[in-house]
Amino acid sequence: MAVSKCTRLNGPLIKQMLDSVDSVLFDCDGVIWRGDQAIPGAPDVINLLKKNGKKVFFVTNNSTKTRKMYADKMALMGFNATEDEVFGTAYCSAMYLKHVSRLQGKVYLIGSNAMRQELEKVGIQQTGVGPDPISGVQIDWANVPLDPEVKAVVVGFDEHFSYMKLNRALQYLNNPDCLLVGTNTDTRLPLEGGKAVPGTGCILKAVETAAQRQAQTVGKPNHFMYDCVASQFGLDRTRCLMVGDRLDTDILLGSNCGLKTLLTLTGVSTVADAEAHQESGCPKRLGMVPDYYVESIAELLPALQG
Amino acid sequence: MAGLVSSRGCHKIRGSQIRELLDSKLNVLFDCDGVIWNGETVVAGAPEVVTLLKQQGKKVFFITNNCTRPRASYVTKFIRLGFTDVAEEEIFSSAYCSAAYLRDVAKLQGKVYVIGCQGVVKELREAGVPIVEEDTNAPTGTIYDYPLDPEVKAVLVGYDEKFDFIKLAKACCYLQNTECLFLATDPDPWHPLRGGRITPGSGSLTAAVETASSRKATVIGKPSCFMFECIASQFNLDPGQSLMVGDRLETDILFGANCGLDTMLTLTGVSTLEEAHGYKDSDDPERKDFVPDYVVETIADFIEAYEEEEG
Repeated sequence: MAVSKCTRLNGPLIKQMLDSVDSVLFDCDGVIWRGDQAIPGAPDVINLLKKNGKKVFFVTNNSTKTRKMYADKMALMGFNATEDEVFGTAYCSAMYLKHVSRLQGKVYLIGSNAMRQELEKVGIQQTGVGPDPISGVQIDWANVPLDPEVKAVVVGFDEHFSYMKLNRALQYLNNPDCLLVGTNTDTRLPLEGGKAVPGTGCILKAVETAAQRQAQTVGKPNHFMYDCVASQFGLDRTRCLMVGDRLDTDILLGSNCGLKTLLTLTGVSTVADAEAHQESGCPKRLGMVPDYYVESIAELLPALQG
Repeated sequence: MAGLVSSRGCHKIRGSQIRELLDSKLNVLFDCDGVIWNGETVVAGAPEVVTLLKQQGKKVFFITNNCTRPRASYVTKFIRLGFTDVAEEEIFSSAYCSAAYLRDVAKLQGKVYVIGCQGVVKELREAGVPIVEEDTNAPTGTIYDYPLDPEVKAVLVGYDEKFDFIKLAKACCYLQNTECLFLATDPDPWHPLRGGRITPGSGSLTAAVETASSRKATVIGKPSCFMFECIASQFNLDPGQSLMVGDRLETDILFGANCGLDTMLTLTGVSTLEEAHGYKDSDDPERKDFVPDYVVETIADFIEAYEEEEG
């Protein structure tokens, strides 16, 4: 039985779809904002959804902010959102290490201060954050002092990434019992002002290549971030919508977790991309075909205001 | 498919078998790390082997992915470790070959943005390939905002202990231009050091740049054939009369297979006999190229191969 997919959401279909869900999960970059500019209409969409009794959550692969930093950014931009509604990978990685890995020990962190803060909040100590320039000669690098309490290498976005950090990670990962966890595999990080720089995926790839092993990834499309939200808020996945701009992370997460999916075209992916996946017939790619798409989430406004 | 099983036999040989093999070859190509030396320690007998082969009229070459030294510095190392008759022209490093590629194959008109150590930079300068000169005293910018040189027509990634995020971002920017070449000195994910330790290799840095740019690098070093083509173009080598001796199955042995050379694994370095047999027993047809034709404990076994004859 063919299920109709990749349907343009408009007219009465919008209200019909919204009535069929109790919770909406939004990606951030390219969906509700671009850098530090809100997508026009986005704050009203979020605020009206809540007024209409929907639960709203924010699920982002970006590891550079804590939940509090995100909440502050949202407040500045007019979004009516609280800290506990935001699920970024800094927070989710800490949750993963605490509750899934049940980490007993320290982390060697290639990542931001935000990640350090979220780790400390769950009682996990880290070493490594901040600049780490090279000194000495090759044989010194193989003999860098290792903290014996480190039981995991964790990789997120790190503007201070350097050969020395890569080297330290490799030395820790020589121990096969040392975990390797990455926040996400996105190849680009969208920045304030609309620019983009190499993303965490590049840093993670360097570590995985040197250590010749694959990381466990926390972020979308891995279902862990949905599990995190669901376990804290008791969601019914059959009445849950995932809204995103990337087919390979947001939409795939939605498909993997049995959610309804809505692609918005204010970010990375296009309708042509979605149709290409649909026509491929490849089972792995079908998960990247959204149920619906809109040009921008602002298109939901009339149905919410009515 | 049984009849098409690889004939690469992984045969452990010594004595007269080695002699027979060497008599059939005009050229012997040696990898360096793990074959003729380990770090600063010579593999016992290696200098004598090189002299012996030359006395027998063989051409001997050294072919290494290690791009941390220019050729002149390799000559100094050879002398320091007791090799008395190795000439600069016989040494082919991935840094030297990358420079040769840019100058002679790509015929680059423009500059190269280099992510690489001094060993790489010096070979490029020696070859007369223009590079982006970074003033290390001037601020390099931030990850959001950095100067770009409009004359860059190629990006080269090699071993770089000063690799950082800004270099990654710059390389990614240059590579957005599809006409900008993308080269890597070698694919090695890690390099072995003394005492079984390892350090991240060029391959891990290249992987970061490939991921950022969504492009694949053209790899100069083993197992790609370019380094053999570089030697062959200067010395007129026949692959059928050449033997590749190395210690890394995934690099040296695969290189030999790719270039149509017979291959010999020596056990003084990275790969083990068990790993070689593992590839031999594998069902995966791609793995057969990792299987060496021959295996020796150490290249020093060549010495007794010739002594036996004289006995």
